[in-house]
Amino acid sequence: MRKSKLVLAAALLPLAACSTMGEGTDLGIYQLVRVKPTNVGNGSVTVLPPRPWNKQRRVFFFDSLRWVEDWTLNGPYLDGLTFVTALPSGEYLVRQRKSDERQVPKFRSDMTAPELAAMLATAYRVRGGAVQFNSLNLQPRQFLGYPGFQFDFEHLDGDELWRKGRAVGAVVDGRLYLMLFDATRSHYYGNALPDFEVMANNARIRHS
Amino acid sequence: MCMRCVEISRRSLLVGGGALVASAATGVAQARTRPADMVPLIGPGFRPTETDEKGLWQLMDRAEEEISGSNLLVKEPELVSYLQDIIGHVGGPAAKDMRIYLAHIPDFNAMMFPSGFAVVFTGLLLRMRNEAQLAGVVAHESGHFLRRHMIRSWRDQKRKSDLFAIGAMAAGMGGAAGGVYLGDYVQLAQLGTILSLFAYSRAMEAEADAMGARLIAEAGYRPVEMANVWEQLIGEEDASARYRRKQRRRGSLFDTHPSPNSRMADLRLSATEVTVPGRIYDDRRARYLSKIAPIRQMLLEDQVKLNDPGGSQYLLNTLAQDGWNGMLRYYEGEVWRLRNRAGDDARAAQSYAVAVAYPDAPAEAWRWHGLSLIKEGRSNEGKAALGRYLRMKPAAPDAPFIRQMVG
Repeated sequence: MRKSKLVLAAALLPLAACSTMGEGTDLGIYQLVRVKPTNVGNGSVTVLPPRPWNKQRRVFFFDSLRWVEDWTLNGPYLDGLTFVTALPSGEYLVRQRKSDERQVPKFRSDMTAPELAAMLATAYRVRGGAVQFNSLNLQPRQFLGYPGFQFDFEHLDGDELWRKGRAVGAVVDGRLYLMLFDATRSHYYGNALPDFEVMANNARIRHS
Repeated sequence: MCMRCVEISRRSLLVGGGALVASAATGVAQARTRPADMVPLIGPGFRPTETDEKGLWQLMDRAEEEISGSNLLVKEPELVSYLQDIIGHVGGPAAKDMRIYLAHIPDFNAMMFPSGFAVVFTGLLLRMRNEAQLAGVVAHESGHFLRRHMIRSWRDQKRKSDLFAIGAMAAGMGGAAGGVYLGDYVQLAQLGTILSLFAYSRAMEAEADAMGARLIAEAGYRPVEMANVWEQLIGEEDASARYRRKQRRRGSLFDTHPSPNSRMADLRLSATEVTVPGRIYDDRRARYLSKIAPIRQMLLEDQVKLNDPGGSQYLLNTLAQDGWNGMLRYYEGEVWRLRNRAGDDARAAQSYAVAVAYPDAPAEAWRWHGLSLIKEGRSNEGKAALGRYLRMKPAAPDAPFIRQMVG
């Protein structure tokens, strides 16, 4: 059985957090995000979080890509917020080997919203350990001032928990901008969704 | 059969390997196991009497309790009773004692536990072309139980101290509710780890094959279908591996099972032996298809959306040997679309176009057909196809977006 990276990462967390080098140093897994305008991903997008969040080092689900950044409030097991900023055509949401038997599809700049939604669904199945994935809603929505989409979904994962998520995204100048919120369905989704909504609405592309 | 117990394989490779060497030394591994020699070692209503086996059953009862309460199980009553019915036909003397659970996991696997319950993955149902094939796999698993393989290997290997390991695992599963578990891809698969302690030898796999052949023949299924299952599985593994230009999956079924070609040959030979001249055997394909019809699209969706193009393509072609239809053509298109290499959009578009020509094309085929047409610049035709999609599925989750596209 393949391991779920998401879940595996979560399992490793407590150990890391307990280490003496953990909190408060640059070697920690988290960095505090304060309530002030914050650049995310490759720095091309700014958001203003309504309360403090925790920025994760890039070792998790969508890992080690400079266009992608993960935040969490209560730990990745329970909730997570992913920013994808200016992902170029032909790139992937995650790092993966060509020889992996199951692949997260590559992003192409001509993808329509239904294709992007399907790409996310496959990402959850391939890398998130989802055994069941239900699309709940796909509707038009402005994002960063551009016509985009909102995608709502829920999935049952290998750890037998139902999680629920919302993605808001748009393709701007051929690059993918996306905010992705995913949390356990019973409590944490509703808990942090308002934060997500605030940030999805105040997110701006930085014009340098 | 534990056909794809990747988790199991690494350990059992070592353990099973040792058993193999031992049996080879005595010459046991050389002889083919014949169905005629396969007598069930237990009768109806079997309960363990010896201490070690009793302890094992107690732990298994806990494991079964965990499993039966899992929300990963497919609980559709019709389907569950169908599987129970099959094990009731090919379970030999223990037919009435065995339980079977269907887990929603898109892999090819089935496993039997020492106390007589089996877990079948939904990925298995997708790959079976008829009821005889499914019955063959279930019969193979029954064979492990009827031949008492778990307790035999346990005792053979004198690994009784591992009983504690099982206990710890069972406790771990109980503890999962308290939030103290180290997650796996699928918690249920942790039971695969339990199974690894029983590491069937190749000789035991051969026994289960022979026993299985006998059981399905007695139940009136065409015996050769067991060999066909094996052939399909080898083909899929190879196709998936070839696609990625590498060897078969590491830790694949071939580690623990007899070499594929000799096994297939043995299965074919066994099929001939158990065939009684003049008796009519059936594959019960129509019944199978009607039983899994309610979840067929889910099964295909689970597989194709994993984006393993080599494996999925092979699988679709195998299923299409019984005839292409709109559903299969649609998923063929999905394989291309998700693969997303240069030229794949055209291939996908072609599959969608073919799919919608069939009366059974799922609504989604119309959606992708429409989106493909629009991308090709055939906007009006595309919008018409999307309109068709919306009429078929007015409450589709993406209807708001598609409506906007249609304008």
